[in-house]
Amino acid sequence: MTNTATGIIRALNSGIKHIATKRFTLRYPEEKLKFVGDGYQFDPSTGVGIAGLKGRHMLFHDHCTGCQLCSIACEGVAEAIAMVKVPDQQQQNKKSIMPQIDYGKCVFCGLCVDACPFYALYMTNDYELSSFSKEGLIYTPAQLAVKPYVEQDSEIIITKWGATHG
Amino acid sequence: MTVELPPGLALQKVDERIMTLNVGPQHPGSGHMRIIVQIDGDYIVACDPDPGYVHRGEEKMAEYRNYITNIPHLERPVIHDSCNALYPYVLGVEDLLGIEVTERAKYVRVICSELNRCIYTMYWLAIYGIFLGHSTMFMWPAGDRELLIDLMEKISGARVTHSHFVPGGVRNDLPPNFEEVCLRQVNYFEKRIKEYAAVFYDNPILISRTQDTGVLSREDAIRLGTTGSVLRASGVDYDLRQKEPYDVYEELDVHTNVMKEGDSYARSKVPWLDMMESCNIIRQALQKMPKSGSVRVKLKPNPKGKGLDSVYKRVESGRGSLGCYIVSDGKVEPYRLKLSVGSFRNLIALPYLLKGEKLGNMPSVYWSLNYWPVEADR
Ligand code: SF4
Ligand code: SF4
Repeated sequence: MTNTATGIIRALNSGIKHIATKRFTLRYPEEKLKFVGDGYQFDPSTGVGIAGLKGRHMLFHDHCTGCQLCSIACEGVAEAIAMVKVPDQQQQNKKSIMPQIDYGKCVFCGLCVDACPFYALYMTNDYELSSFSKEGLIYTPAQLAVKPYVEQDSEIIITKWGATHG
Repeated sequence: MTVELPPGLALQKVDERIMTLNVGPQHPGSGHMRIIVQIDGDYIVACDPDPGYVHRGEEKMAEYRNYITNIPHLERPVIHDSCNALYPYVLGVEDLLGIEVTERAKYVRVICSELNRCIYTMYWLAIYGIFLGHSTMFMWPAGDRELLIDLMEKISGARVTHSHFVPGGVRNDLPPNFEEVCLRQVNYFEKRIKEYAAVFYDNPILISRTQDTGVLSREDAIRLGTTGSVLRASGVDYDLRQKEPYDVYEELDVHTNVMKEGDSYARSKVPWLDMMESCNIIRQALQKMPKSGSVRVKLKPNPKGKGLDSVYKRVESGRGSLGCYIVSDGKVEPYRLKLSVGSFRNLIALPYLLKGEKLGNMPSVYWSLNYWPVEADR
């Protein structure tokens, strides 16, 4: 009987300690987590990626040749990429087609980035993609060319009072 | 005219004492599955687990995708343990294609795999806690696994489905400064999970609810073909990381945690002890890892198998042995792919364990099997 009582008191006690420790919860959206680098990138010359968050894609119009390799890579994954005509004439892009990504389908695996041999498709730290309509999730090549504005600075800090986001 | 109905659908004869009860598939305590229990008063007389509600056809789907685009969907069965879910597939494809992986990539894989094991186990522990009515044990693991999710996010760029392992190594190298951050967060994580002893594992209320319920003897555990923590909780010292080391596990010092009791309490405690072992392995791997070098072997765009060939690889996942059998016929897609998962093998033990138990003990026995419905259905 005394064993049971001490056990319960010990359990309560270990919980009570936590009144004094700092709160671990991240207060999103006031605080946003900081990520390493500018997003997942891939270097076709070495065949190895560069660590970063797999968020919204970014397309460099001056590199994309319209080769469709990204779209072919995505075919077996989510069929999220469609090649569409673009109005701007780029010298390296004879057919004037560029990827358009449907974020209603994309699973953010980044295999399209691995497939692009011309340093044209990267991923960024932007993950806030919600929209009121399905069409709003389809990003045209022009929208993909915009570098997102992200303000992320919160990191996990470990002190002797426990871990917290700050 | 009589129509033969499948066993699950057949009408039961109404008995005066026995009542048939469907637990699930919408019941939050059952996961995505149905457990048909027959109760006599408060005691379970028979139990028939009925999985299959989240069958996704992963194995069939794999026959229509090439070796690279198979990666994202094959980790979906257990998104919390996605590195381990992908591990046997990646090892198998490397064998089929004859790829030799670099040393650093192997260490990175081991670190990812151990981090994922802890992330999965913490999620499972949170569920186990809440179904025993211990809401602190839901909040704490759900919060503390954030430390490791943060590490995985730094490595792979995704919080749950990492798609990080590929045939030939891993997708990208560790970010700069990673060793230091990893060591700090893993050490703190270990300190935190040790605190669970006072609040959960030594808690007399938990002990009285789980001790001596659903006892699985050593012989039965082997006979029924259970695996992972269920097998180790019944006193069988069997861990694939030790018995059939893959990648660099043979260079690391892996201890297994074995308990003899075989009851729900032992089955819930072994994964917790395993997490501490995982922290040890991560620390060792960080120390022994080559400090630089390539992590990914460059493959041809659409790698093909070499003629008719088959391979079977298995790894120790968070739920026990996870095997992957791949048959290749020299095309870019696998000819056949079959997964053998720990969840399904552990589920077989459920009818044996629940017979004669009280209905109130069902959650503690069921979740102690370290069972993940989606993985069992594939
Ligand atoms: S990240 Fe994956 S799912 Fe998304 S567009 Fe690229 S290949 Fe398709
Ligand atoms: S983004 Fe890259 S892979 Fe896709 S069409 Fe342009 S150049 Fe080709």
